[in-house]
Amino acid sequence: MLSKTDASAAAFAVAAVVFFLIGGLLTTVVPPLVDKTWGKPFENSDPSKGPIGKLEPYTDLERKGRDIYVREGCWYCHTQQTRTLLADTKRSGWRGVDAPISTPDEFVYDSPHMFGTKRTGPDLSRVGGKYDAQWHKTHFRNPRDLVPGSIMPPFPWIAENPEEFDAMVAYLQKLGRAKDWRPDHDYEH
Amino acid sequence: MQEKQLTTGAVSPSGAAAVSPSAHADTTAKWFLISAIGYFFIVGIIAITIAAKFVWPELLGTVAPLSYGRLRPLHVNGMLFGWLLAADMGLTFYLVPRLCGVRIWSEKLGIATAALWNVIILGAVVSLLAGWNQGLEYAELPLALDIAVVAAWIMFGFNIFATIGTRRYAQMYVSLWYIMGTILWTAFVYLTGNFAVLAATGVNQANLNWMYVHNAVGLIFTPVGLALAYYFIPKSGNIPLFSHKLSMIGFWSLAFVYVWTGAHHMLHGPISQWLQTIAIVFSVMLLIPVWTVVYNFFATMKGQWQQLRENVPLKFLMSGVVFYLLTCFQGPMHSLRSVNAIVSKTDWIPGHAHMAVLGAFSFFAVAGCYYAIPRMFNRTLYSDALANWSYWLLMIGGLGFFVTLWLGGVWQGWQWNNPAIPFIDTVVALKPVWLVRFVSGILMFAGIVAFLYNVLATVTGAAGVEKPRAAAA
Repeated sequence: MLSKTDASAAAFAVAAVVFFLIGGLLTTVVPPLVDKTWGKPFENSDPSKGPIGKLEPYTDLERKGRDIYVREGCWYCHTQQTRTLLADTKRSGWRGVDAPISTPDEFVYDSPHMFGTKRTGPDLSRVGGKYDAQWHKTHFRNPRDLVPGSIMPPFPWIAENPEEFDAMVAYLQKLGRAKDWRPDHDYEH
Repeated sequence: MQEKQLTTGAVSPSGAAAVSPSAHADTTAKWFLISAIGYFFIVGIIAITIAAKFVWPELLGTVAPLSYGRLRPLHVNGMLFGWLLAADMGLTFYLVPRLCGVRIWSEKLGIATAALWNVIILGAVVSLLAGWNQGLEYAELPLALDIAVVAAWIMFGFNIFATIGTRRYAQMYVSLWYIMGTILWTAFVYLTGNFAVLAATGVNQANLNWMYVHNAVGLIFTPVGLALAYYFIPKSGNIPLFSHKLSMIGFWSLAFVYVWTGAHHMLHGPISQWLQTIAIVFSVMLLIPVWTVVYNFFATMKGQWQQLRENVPLKFLMSGVVFYLLTCFQGPMHSLRSVNAIVSKTDWIPGHAHMAVLGAFSFFAVAGCYYAIPRMFNRTLYSDALANWSYWLLMIGGLGFFVTLWLGGVWQGWQWNNPAIPFIDTVVALKPVWLVRFVSGILMFAGIVAFLYNVLATVTGAAGVEKPRAAAA
């Protein structure tokens, strides 16, 4: 069959597109139809099924902070996914409590998604509520003042701009909070 | 049309020249290649800058447009679209008319395409430095530029298909399939990654994004890169390709297998386990097209390896083939869950990605430039010795970059998997690795400078390059 495509550009084009579209459609269009959790916001009120909570859409302030996160390319160095690896649940954890793994239903309102591919800095999927606003202000001015050895760039134009800074902190404090995973609810603001 | 008989065995990239070599104006190819090499140099400076920021994090730290988060997408997009894809398109404009035995369908349309492409790249520089970033990897450019890319691609594709439609030989040489495949698949891949993706959110969006990111390499840069290798290896070595049939197997298995693997970018992540498994299975199957292609190239070189001593384009090409083999062995291995748990998200990954884009596909494009540019300008290359220097600088710099990042990445991955080690300690541990990466980057950049200088001296007619080349193009 394919020997025909050797001498006919039209036959070639049809075959090349068909070969591509089989996998193309099955791996992009079909999965969200099969796995409904991709599009349904997280909600759980039964503690026996894991952390309770509900995924709320971003407020205007949080969305503004998120836009800054996108603009500054934070996502090139910080992932936002606690993977199904023991070490990830420990590293995303806090004060001796392991973090729950990330599930698709926690990201329904994310666009652009911020899962990331490179972890030059720590993962931020459960950073919400760990550090207070003052910590973030100092850290954005110069990360090395709080974390010696850090290679994160300074962001004075965020730290010194109250509007941008408040939005940024509002977004960071939201991260990973759909699941109320701290037993003592000891979240910072 | 000539040659009714279809070949399946050894085959050469072109039959008797239907159009004399001097009949090709190559204006489009020249514009694409000269601007691409210019971007290779400019974006090389950005590459060194961001490598330096890993070593000196305060460097240019208070200037927002020059911060790491703004320069990194400029580095990636600049190298992928400003240098590599533009060089690939320029070389396509060179080899398609020659393989078809006709002139390019429209030189005017081609020049307009090259001009539009330059407008897109300059627009990308402005928007990325300003922070107008869509937030999706490889799809950072704002929508207006995405639309311009689609327009440029239609102009390019139409011109190439129209040229192939008027060809003098019935049977199409393998490079032509790969180029046609690139044009068709890129249309779908680019539309998915830059337009369809905007209608989705969360994991669904990530899945479309990774389908695009993966296939930007697998179904754009791989097929057009292999088209160059299939043309320039036999041409610059003056040897026939080992097997036509084997090249068909490689092509059709690539066409079927590659698109399934996007989800391997989210292994262990918040995406359905069954989709991860599908991506793993198809990632391992990628060994079939890769090994078929590489075997064909090695068999072509049988009894001809001594040519690597003198022939700089062939040196770049065969080193590129070895890097292609290695990078495409790493890829399937990373997709295994156990290996992925160590290397994913570490510095191993940029080591792997640079071997594909620089070590394999840029080496093919550089070889193509060294072979084609003197022929297009009807001159000899300014300096073979300088070309040899550019090879060794890119080779040693590249190896230094790849190998240290692999070692550093594995080390980092093992440390991450021991939660007793604080994260910051795993950052500090990598500092020597990033210093070596910066130094390797300087070596690679020196290679780019030698390449740029050699090409410019050739095309501007520096002393010694005026005598017309004896060999026909």
